[in-house]
This record gives sequence, structure tokens and C-alpha cells, in this order.
Amino acid sequence: MAMGFRLSSELIAGVGVGALMGWGFDRLLSTSPFGLIVFVLVGFSAGVLNVIRSAGVAPDKTGR
Amino acid sequence: MIDPIEQFHIEKLFTIGHIGNQEIAFTNSSAYMFGSVALITLLMVGAGKRLVPGRIQSVAEIAYEFVANTIRSNAGKDGMKFFPLVFTIFMLLAVSNMVGVIPYSFTIASHIIVTAALAFLVFFTVLIYGFYKNGLKFFKLFVPSGIPIFILPLVVFIEIFSFFLRPVSHSVRLFANMLAGHIALAVFASFIPLLAGLGIAGYFGAVLPLGMVMALTALELLVAFLQAYVFTILTVIYINDAIHPGH
Repeated sequence: MAMGFRLSSELIAGVGVGALMGWGFDRLLSTSPFGLIVFVLVGFSAGVLNVIRSAGVAPDKTGR
Repeated sequence: MIDPIEQFHIEKLFTIGHIGNQEIAFTNSSAYMFGSVALITLLMVGAGKRLVPGRIQSVAEIAYEFVANTIRSNAGKDGMKFFPLVFTIFMLLAVSNMVGVIPYSFTIASHIIVTAALAFLVFFTVLIYGFYKNGLKFFKLFVPSGIPIFILPLVVFIEIFSFFLRPVSHSVRLFANMLAGHIALAVFASFIPLLAGLGIAGYFGAVLPLGMVMALTALELLVAFLQAYVFTILTVIYINDAIHPGH
């Protein structure tokens, strides 16, 4: 269960922070909704990257 | 009905002073922090220096060896420079989480501001020491080797993003585990008086949630230690990035 909590919190943090940053970006520059779209996608990929890394499936960094 | 959130209430014990209009109060959370520190001090100072260790000295020595081995195997010999920081974080979290499992006590890690403060302490330590030790080579952390030049900007952007995600997932993991575990305990515990109020059949029914609470308390004891360890090992892994940023 501890492992599950660890991995899910990585992914949720990624998507959540991405959505928050995109929303703030849109508010500041009034580019709605493109900032939200881009940052949620980037946050999702960063979250998946963190999940893969902390699960130890992939080597620590690519290319090694 | 018993309120499962009530155990997390912050109560003011006395006022220390004011900064502007903001009151600086000594709360029950601060009291438990001081209590945990006092317990750790008692353990480490009271351990003694005998050649054949007694019970308390054994616990203190095992705690030292445990954290030192974690650092040596994850960050190498250079990581031992950070032993005081890592040992402080591990002991504070382990002891305060253990104290939190005792019924009617307060768990300081169940408030996100506490875990976020610790996570940001680690984050800024890594950032400042990384730049101090490696200078601009610290940016190599964001540039994995062997990536085609066309997708490199995107990869670097994602790497930077995932670096700034670290304090978030670092703090939320500990906080969510503590909060969820203690709410589950309180909910099952509140079933016991509800069932027992039903009469003679209720007394037998109340045995079921009582057994569940006992099992959950044992599980919480494990989670309390495990989450302190997870927080510590991630701290060491992040510090390792500051010491050896090249990939």
C-alpha cells in the first residue's frame, strides 16, 4: 500500500501542479485555454516520468 | 457521532508575541514538536558510552547505523556531510509519528504545512548546495545524455518541471498517509460506541470494529515508521543529485 501511495502521489502531484500552473499562466497572460492544455500535458508527462523513475522500471536517466 | 476530523484541531496554549497584527501562538502542535525533540534528546544523550551497550544505547546506535548506511549506499561517502540534516529529519518524523499513534495524541505530520516546510528545506538545500558545489554544471541535471537535438528542448522542459514537482510529491505523500490513516482509525473507533448502544446484540457486533481498530493501529505503527523512512530516503536521493549532477 505504501508503494501504491508513493506512485499515485507522484502522478497526482504532476497533473495537479501542471493544471495549477496552466491556470495561473492563462490568468496572467489571458491566453485561455492554451496555457492550461499545454501545462496539463507537460505536467502529466513529468508525472509519468517520476512514476517510472521511482518505480525503478527504467534506469535513473535515459541514455545509460 | 464522533467527529473524525477533531483530532487534527490546532489549539492555542498561550501567546508568545505579535508580529504586526499576526498573533504568534504556542499551539498543541508546537508542544508535540518540543515533546518529540525532548524524547530524541533523552534517547541520544541518555544512551551513555559503555563498551557493551545497554538497551537505550543499542537503540541509539541502531538509529545512527541505519541512517548512516542509508546515506552511504545512496549518496556515497560525500553524502555523510549531510548526516546531521538527514538524521534530524528522520528522528523527528519517526518519533513524532510514533507518538501520534498513541490514542488522544496529536500527529504533527498530519498538517501539510509541517511536511511542506520540511520538503522545502530539503529542496532549497539541494538547490543552493548544488549551485555552490558544481556551479553551472548543476544544469546538467536537466540535460540527459543521448537525446536527439530535435526533442531536446521538450525533454529539458519536462525535466525542469519534474524537478519542481519534487517538493510537492515529497510533502503530500507523508501528509496524506498520516491524515488518511488517522481518519480511518477514528471512523472505525466511532463505530464501537454506536454499535454498543444498540443493546445486547450490539455488544457482540462491537467486537468487529474493535478488532479492526486493533489491526489498524498495528498497521499505523508500520506506516508511521515507513513514511518517515520514505521521506528520509527521498531526501538522500535528492541530495545525491546535488552532489553528483552529471549523468
